[in-house]
Amino acid sequence: MTTESPLHDAETPAPYTIEQILSGIVMGLIVLITFGNVLARYFTSQSFAATEEFSIALLIVLSFLGSSAAFAFDRHIRVDFFVRKLPPGLHAFIDWLSFAVTASLFAFIAFYAGKLTWDQYRFEETSPALGVPQWWYTVWMPVLAVALVLRLVITRMRRRA
Amino acid sequence: MIGSVLIGLFLLALVAGMPLATGLGVASIAVLAMAGFDQLAVPTNIYAGIAKYPLLAIPMFILAGMIFERSGVAIRLVRFVTAMVGEWTGSLAVVAVLVSMLLGGISGSGPADAAAVAAVMLPSMIARGYPKGFSAGLIAASGSTAIVIPPSVAFIVYSVMVPAATVPALFAAGLFPGMVAALCLLVPAIVISRKYGFGRDYKAERPPLGKSFIDAIWGLLAPVIILGGLRTGIFTPTEAAVVAVAYGIFVGMVVYRSISFRGLFRVLVEAGELSAVVLMIIGIASVFAWAGNTLGIFDAAAKALVGLHSSEWLMLLSINLLLLAAGMFLDAISIFLILLPLLVPIAIAMGWDLVWFGVMMTINLAIGQFTPPMAISLMITSRIAGIGMEETFKWVVWLVLAMGAGLALMIVFPQLALWLPGRLGYL
Repeated sequence: MTTESPLHDAETPAPYTIEQILSGIVMGLIVLITFGNVLARYFTSQSFAATEEFSIALLIVLSFLGSSAAFAFDRHIRVDFFVRKLPPGLHAFIDWLSFAVTASLFAFIAFYAGKLTWDQYRFEETSPALGVPQWWYTVWMPVLAVALVLRLVITRMRRRA
Repeated sequence: MIGSVLIGLFLLALVAGMPLATGLGVASIAVLAMAGFDQLAVPTNIYAGIAKYPLLAIPMFILAGMIFERSGVAIRLVRFVTAMVGEWTGSLAVVAVLVSMLLGGISGSGPADAAAVAAVMLPSMIARGYPKGFSAGLIAASGSTAIVIPPSVAFIVYSVMVPAATVPALFAAGLFPGMVAALCLLVPAIVISRKYGFGRDYKAERPPLGKSFIDAIWGLLAPVIILGGLRTGIFTPTEAAVVAVAYGIFVGMVVYRSISFRGLFRVLVEAGELSAVVLMIIGIASVFAWAGNTLGIFDAAAKALVGLHSSEWLMLLSINLLLLAAGMFLDAISIFLILLPLLVPIAIAMGWDLVWFGVMMTINLAIGQFTPPMAISLMITSRIAGIGMEETFKWVVWLVLAMGAGLALMIVFPQLALWLPGRLGYL
């Protein structure tokens, strides 16, 4: 429900999940590519603007990687104002329902994103700027959506144990 | 029928406390299925919604804001502003508002700004006899102006959804209304402090002005670099953001030496997660918007609403009340993503300037961030102060009214927002 919750567990750093480490690396890569672009443009008046294609594909990777921890540890934006007023039993049920629906949604996304990737592979679509196969970019959606579902399920099972 | 399923399912999921992204996704998929569309539209729109060059500015501005928060810029700004303002009854309240305004020129997120100022200022305010509730409320309120004062992540999202309003135009348009909104807070802050004599019996040495200015110069230069770079056209917003990141890393790691390599990686991970949350909602919201637009749901709803309201002012009032209510429960970016597909056709039908409309919406949502009973910024500052949010309510009412007056000023005098971008040739 808050957008800033990562802030307040800074005192007790939990070990990173794989997705968190990767998302930190992806953030670093985006900074380097974008900053490199700025430097290249002003000092050599040459642009490697085509690398923008990489940066924006990294945005997709980042969205799924970062959302994985955010969903699993309840840091995605949601409104818990009404639910908190419910009796604990009902609250727990709705909490479980929320987990089930979110996991199913991303399983659904994984399936259709996989289908999209397969289509792009079959029809040999190429990317607009660099002309590389489009599925190189798209394939991260199904792969990381599956990882996201797995992380949700694992976190939920650990909590129960 | 299909329209009510889209809106109804989404609202149901929202009230049930499901993540926003989940609610948007489930409602969109249900509607696509009912309309017999190919579900390939879901991944296609998520990809197209996220993989946009202007959106690169979002993780970069979030990262820059977080780096500056950790770099120790806030405490130096506090010292500098205290040196300027001096120590008198209510002086720290003034300092809190001014520092939040300055930090708002570096960070683009209200709650983050409020958290940074609260961590630095709450202890000294409490030591000088300011009540915790008053201090937490004031910092939450002044911090929330960060989304109006450029740079603002909310404006970037608005611009992506409303291409007619460019990011430089919105940034320029937000500058004066954001400052006016913050300055409006000074009135109740000073009046209340004087009435109760907050900080009256406390005498402290005033920090030397020259030295504290030199100490704070690195922080003070950040908005100059970001906004100056944008103004001169050297940088696109994304480039301005990444230059701010590089500058922040330099200040934090080399000048103040307050950020280690390990700390830098932690900031990357946390900024990455926060950006991912925003981007994922943007991606899934674009499926939602695509479904609603393709099926003509938003247009029909907008037409019905325009027909319902006889006068422009009534329409404006309804929109503002809707935004204020929405702003209590959600952050500005989420609300833009949900409501803009509906509100933009209305604004166009009413003949409103879309840049002005964006600034108006954003100020309204800034007010929502510290309006009880549910307020993101209040929650954060109360937690830092170690009090229940209820303790802030009796003070916050006055702050809500004051910033509401600022909003009214900006609505009655649109030039407050539009003069600067017009002057700079952005409109």
